[in-house]
Amino acid sequence: MIDRLLEQARRRADGGADALWRRVERTSVAFEWGRLKGAGVTEETGVSLRVRHGGRVGVAGTTAADASLDHLIARALASADLGEAVDLAFPPRAPLPSVPTYFDRAGEASLDDLIRMGRGLLDGLARDGCRVNVAVERETAETRVANSAGAASHYRSTALAVSADVWRIAGDDVLVLGDACEGADVPSDAALQAIVRSVNTRLDRALTVVSPPEGSLPVVFTPAGLAALLLPVTQALSGKAVLQGISPLGGKVGQAAVFDAAFSLRDDPTCAGRPASRPSDDECVPSRVTPLVERGVVRRFIYDLETAARAKTQSTGHGQRGIFGKPVPGYTNLILASQPDSSNVGAQHAAPLPLGGGLVRDIQDGLLVDELIGVGQGNVIGGAFSHPVALAYRIERGEITGRVKEAAVAGNVYELWKRVGGFGSDARWTGSRYAPSVLLQGVSVARR
Amino acid sequence: MIDRLTAALGRSRADYTEIRVERTWSTAVTFRGRRLESVTASEDQGGFVRALSRGAGWGVASFTSLERLEAMVSRAHDLSRAVHVETPIRLADVAPQRADALLDLDGDVRGVSLAEKKRLLEAYNGAMLAVSDRIVDTLASYRDEVSEYWFVNSDGTGLHELRPEVTLSGTAVARRDGTIEKGLESVGLRRGWNSVQDGIAGFRTAAERAVRLLDAPTVKGGTYPVILDPELAGVFIHEAFGHLSEADFVYENPQARAMMTLGRRFGKPLLHVGDNGAAPGLRGTLPFDDEGTPTQDTPLITEGILVGRLHSRETAATMGERPTGNARAVSFRHAPIVRMTNTYIGKGRGTFADLIGDVKLGVYACSAFGGQTLLENFSFTAAYGHMIRDGQVAELVKDVVLAGNLFQTLDRIDHIAGDFRWNQMGGGCGKGGQYPLPVTEGAPHVRIEEALVGGDVPA
Repeated sequence: MIDRLLEQARRRADGGADALWRRVERTSVAFEWGRLKGAGVTEETGVSLRVRHGGRVGVAGTTAADASLDHLIARALASADLGEAVDLAFPPRAPLPSVPTYFDRAGEASLDDLIRMGRGLLDGLARDGCRVNVAVERETAETRVANSAGAASHYRSTALAVSADVWRIAGDDVLVLGDACEGADVPSDAALQAIVRSVNTRLDRALTVVSPPEGSLPVVFTPAGLAALLLPVTQALSGKAVLQGISPLGGKVGQAAVFDAAFSLRDDPTCAGRPASRPSDDECVPSRVTPLVERGVVRRFIYDLETAARAKTQSTGHGQRGIFGKPVPGYTNLILASQPDSSNVGAQHAAPLPLGGGLVRDIQDGLLVDELIGVGQGNVIGGAFSHPVALAYRIERGEITGRVKEAAVAGNVYELWKRVGGFGSDARWTGSRYAPSVLLQGVSVARR
Repeated sequence: MIDRLTAALGRSRADYTEIRVERTWSTAVTFRGRRLESVTASEDQGGFVRALSRGAGWGVASFTSLERLEAMVSRAHDLSRAVHVETPIRLADVAPQRADALLDLDGDVRGVSLAEKKRLLEAYNGAMLAVSDRIVDTLASYRDEVSEYWFVNSDGTGLHELRPEVTLSGTAVARRDGTIEKGLESVGLRRGWNSVQDGIAGFRTAAERAVRLLDAPTVKGGTYPVILDPELAGVFIHEAFGHLSEADFVYENPQARAMMTLGRRFGKPLLHVGDNGAAPGLRGTLPFDDEGTPTQDTPLITEGILVGRLHSRETAATMGERPTGNARAVSFRHAPIVRMTNTYIGKGRGTFADLIGDVKLGVYACSAFGGQTLLENFSFTAAYGHMIRDGQVAELVKDVVLAGNLFQTLDRIDHIAGDFRWNQMGGGCGKGGQYPLPVTEGAPHVRIEEALVGGDVPA
């Protein structure tokens, strides 16, 4: 279908076309408040077409199976007719790396297999006074992307996600904590057990509530807690933000000491077994590793075809598109490490013990932050943040002494990342980010 | 279509079956800075089936190819049967509804050319850019849709609706050296083209505010009397209280149920809160929810006391209460879950001036960049604020983040003005992976006698 579409589009659009066709099937089971509640399937097919005509780019998408190709092309041309000129060239055919994206065990897992996985978690997490929600979802997808310059990419993929959260309500004290593991293949029993241990350990430590510390303190951010500290950085490393002139990292490529020398960040769409991995992006650009920051020095920003064309550079293979709307630059697998080329990215999911990856023992008075409230609100890219804690623990004399409730942390991420106090030994995947716990010095902690 | 769906229902072997089909035409225009980023027209269609069998769980199926309708009805039944449950799932009774409720399209957006939509947004975006050369970037977007909707269930309900929606939003980014500030404008209406013709002033104001924030000091962190403007008060009641009143949170969780016992005092007697899915002309308004239950005005807090909650048919049956018409799905891709519609703090007495008259030093927190609640804890980022000094609105301040405990904060609301207003914003509510659901919030000015304001946290 996509070949016919491109063939017809090429005849009507003088600057060529590209298209993405994707079919997704999902099967999910949900356990609510400790009980199996239901099962569901989703079947979804859609196509997204982009044309370049008269120097302008237009897009159109549809999920209607009966949509005529003519009509779709006409809509894309109408969109181009109103669009602004962009010097976008569709990439020619190029060799694609071999990235395993389809795992038979995941693709063939039965509903009963999914239910069994969920029940295993539920049993491991059951405890008095608590309620557990578990969700298991398996996705299989087929993606075809091609353009009128002759490039094409076709792959099938699988993804399997298991998540659990435990709710403990005692009077007006509500404690929710959870963990998840996502992969392209079925999780191992060890990975599922790790979720159970991760949740139970953090829950045990949270039962005692202690008063929060105050002042400018050493704070350990767990791999999950790091979200607030990495979000401004990843926003600022997007070529789109740079092009708009709103990225604080805009003019800093190659400058020394923008980040601590222990800070290296890369994006790797070829990582084995990750759901975000693929042989090419959604614009036929071959996948490859992009070093973003190496030993504290900004190396590259991410680009899709259009952003690259406007910035007069090359796409880094980060074009992501849905069925509706045009491609945008997006990350795949982000890896934070103390070395730019650390190759031993494991398949580890749930937090290994002890909490904090060994960073806690040298702290006299501080905080361990696992989740913050309000991440992503406000003026994120600027780097200033102020968040109440959702889940945080007090550290006293090298030990975790209990959960703190009424505290907020604040600071500027670009300042904090200049002085990394240490990386933990507990690197793991949290969604599509691989990172260890990180100790940062001089984080402002306030009591509320 | 209703006949085709009814025929498919007839072949279902499940004890209860519902089918929903949607076909949505939408267009979107986006400007970034002076540049048109995209103009798109999309068609999205699909169906959803949910089946329930005795002694079994829910089986659900969603699909984009309507040719698969009959197969998916049978698939939903199979899935239901594959899920064994110990306690049967029951649904509260709702009288069968038949309606062909075509909502007022108010200037059908499908009859307006893409070029006209582009011109409108270009003017609004231009108004932001024209404010000052400090405005270094803008993001302006226009989106409209008309969704044709069909719903049938095996209890005899059959509904057909045409649902319009139009949203406009603008972000103006002002920059001077390393300082970057934003101003936001957002409008969301369950209406059509006619309703968005005179929105230019709001865009200009947003850009002017972004420029003025460049010179504004960061609010000094601490505890203050805080006055919320109607917009932020609305976001607060939705995020901090509304989600707790959704019965799917409490119905099978004894501890949560104890926390949310009807009759519990949540605030002073001046506090009234409710959710009204039937309020005329609002974005969260529809005649029926996605289980075919008529929408209604549901009181949640009356005179400070918890008196109600929001239900689906399942949560209502479990708790022995009445369905309230709050089972909503964001699209055919999802099952209906308990959601808010138009959530409000009821009108009080007096004016804004009465609220601040006796405040020596306080913060007036206005509009919202965002908010998040983790049950009893919340954090809201106001778009901007003013200090209140000696009963008067004083200087503009930025980075006003309100954080606190829900129960304490509701109880500290000590003054509610009479200037109630619905805030018809774009965006929407997210829950359980379903976003953005069209909702509206409404409130008057509200005073909290003491709240923690983050900002410049002393190190």
